[in-house]
Amino acid sequence: MNLLLVGCSHHQTPLAVRERLAFNEAQTVAALSAMRHCWPQTEAVLLSTCNRVELYLGGEKETLPSAEEAGAFLAQFHGLPHNLIQPYLYVYEDEEAVRHLFAVASSLDSMVLGEAQILGQVKDAYQLSAAQGAAGPIFHATFQTAVKAARRVATETTLHQRRVSIPSVAVADFAQQVFDRFDDKQVLVIGAGEMAEETLKYLQDQGARQITVVNRSAERAEELARRWQGRAATWEELVEAAASADVIISTTGAQQPILTAERFAQVTAQRRRWPVFILDLAVPRDVEPTVGDQPGVYLFSIDDLKAVCDANRRQRDAELPLAMRIVEEEAAQFMADLHHKASAPLIVQLRQGWQKPKEEELQRLFNKLPQLDDHARAEIRQAFDRLVNKLLHLPLDTLRNHARQGVPHSLMDALAKLFRLKE
Amino acid sequence: MSRMGIICFAASYGIALLLEVSRLWFRSRLRGVVILGCTAAGLIAHTLFLGYRAFTVTGSPLSSEMDWCLLAAWVLVALYLMLLFAYPRTPFGLVLLPLALGLIGAAGWWASREPYPQAPASRVWGLIHAGAILAATVAVLVAFAAGVIYLFQAYRLKQRRGPLGGFWVPSLEWLDRMNSRSLGAAVVALAVGLFAGVMLNWINYQQHVPPLPWSDPLVMTTLAMFWWLLVALVLAVWYRPADEVRKVAFITIISFIFLLTALAALLLMNTSHGRNRNPWQEQSGQAPQVSVEPYVWQESSLRGGICLWGPAGHGRSRPPFVAQLRT
Repeated sequence: MNLLLVGCSHHQTPLAVRERLAFNEAQTVAALSAMRHCWPQTEAVLLSTCNRVELYLGGEKETLPSAEEAGAFLAQFHGLPHNLIQPYLYVYEDEEAVRHLFAVASSLDSMVLGEAQILGQVKDAYQLSAAQGAAGPIFHATFQTAVKAARRVATETTLHQRRVSIPSVAVADFAQQVFDRFDDKQVLVIGAGEMAEETLKYLQDQGARQITVVNRSAERAEELARRWQGRAATWEELVEAAASADVIISTTGAQQPILTAERFAQVTAQRRRWPVFILDLAVPRDVEPTVGDQPGVYLFSIDDLKAVCDANRRQRDAELPLAMRIVEEEAAQFMADLHHKASAPLIVQLRQGWQKPKEEELQRLFNKLPQLDDHARAEIRQAFDRLVNKLLHLPLDTLRNHARQGVPHSLMDALAKLFRLKE
Repeated sequence: MSRMGIICFAASYGIALLLEVSRLWFRSRLRGVVILGCTAAGLIAHTLFLGYRAFTVTGSPLSSEMDWCLLAAWVLVALYLMLLFAYPRTPFGLVLLPLALGLIGAAGWWASREPYPQAPASRVWGLIHAGAILAATVAVLVAFAAGVIYLFQAYRLKQRRGPLGGFWVPSLEWLDRMNSRSLGAAVVALAVGLFAGVMLNWINYQQHVPPLPWSDPLVMTTLAMFWWLLVALVLAVWYRPADEVRKVAFITIISFIFLLTALAALLLMNTSHGRNRNPWQEQSGQAPQVSVEPYVWQESSLRGGICLWGPAGHGRSRPPFVAQLRT
């Protein structure tokens, strides 16, 4: 049984090529169907995300297409010239392909190391393929083990616990350290920056519902409030809105601070709820740093968040060797099991071959000793079974050990010749 | 034997505490399991110890100062174990275990093992009194723990520090809630405990046993703590200043000082709380040869609770019980 992987990823392939080679769900179904038609004896899984397109193929060596044929298939499906994508394609076979899949599922090959989405995408790709009848026993075992490896990486390292995007750090590492819940909190968004939108997504995931948008343009504020299911407030209502907010996110393009110390003093005079969490995601800053010195105010600028992101990224990188070791272990174990499975029919024959003389000898003995009761017979049968198992243990153990280095063809040949087994 | 037993489970908690401290420096997959194992093993030994006392000493597990302290520590550790299951990445043990060890230390080295006087009529009120005061003590200690973690978290956030590697600190809101709820529980428990104490005194008075004077240091410190906790609760729930950190620090530290003072009054100062105030048992260990009629307690004889204490067992002074006998 052999595995082949042909694909391209964000490491070497420009976005312009990746987006032309990407498959949506309908295209994936069509591609799998076409592959089954071209290579009916081959199992296939197609993984397509914004960062990679990878085609996994599995089957017997004789029926498996070559890497060139697989690459040509990907190009032809999208109507692209093969030579356009050829320079970007990488090819992995057998153990390398397994190791790569495990690393991908564990998010060790992702653009953002440790991001959580990829495991779901890998699972979806396999399930879609299985539903189309394109994935069989080979990929069932392979992808199951890939998920297991990814879970080990997630639990045994802190790769996934370290957030590296500014909005995720802002919410998970800071806002959630101040507030326990967000469904009863007032969120004020000043401006309409992209970062505010991203942060708001995280806050809404945490339950934030009461959102107020303040923008110099009333129309823009209305539009954003509608999109985020909040309410719009005028620029003149800024102090009042800030006074009733628990979380303030500011991302305007203003050249001067909006929440100056003087203006915040007005906010403080009206405030009844403390503490207040302020995220200043604007450059230049919207909130004067002295505001953060006031009691009950937890102010974080983009630099503060970036420092944590960088620290998290470094810590993630430090975890990489451990994660890689887990992937290596899982891949090696998987391949050993796979190779060992190749010798399974031979082992079955060998066991069956030894059962026959054992039964004959037992029968002869029981005929000679008719006085034996059932208990004695059971004891003798058990002794014979143990003897057969002990005699077989050493050769089978040797076979299993050799399977770690690959399919043990020479040993299998020897066994087949010695015991006249069918290969 | 009992001190050895105490050292055994205290050592288990001590190891768990050291492992909690080690979270500050390095990560380990095994550590959580070992902390859990040490704490659970210590708690089992602790339970067995209290169980043994309950079977061998009348009125246990609240029959003496030592049992009372050990039971309070047991509740704290059990609470810690529950929190360990619910929040495995939060090092509550860094604050709760030292408090539990402090109570165990007090039980082993300062607390009296002499059983409290047992009178059938006052047994129920005695249990309510001791149980409620124990609950109040644990609640104040939990409020203290939440307050300390709150101050640490607020400091970190003010310094704009990112998440700590080895552990997760709960949010300010959660800690604030835990702090005020614990204070609320402490106020209720202490109110019940004080009421039960008054009832005990009343029963004693009815039976011509000298009641505990209001001027007793333990009574005074406990009453002062009750009034302070009431004020602290009002502050914690209704007063929302911008400087929440200062408020929490103030409430946490003062409440803890009051609790320490009350415990010191119980364990170290000359209090007649929990002592046998029956003079003919106290002075010679046996009844006087004279025929004894029911004695009449006289307020003036206590001299306002000022020390008149004479010698007593277990290496510490005991009240002389100066109630006069009418022979």
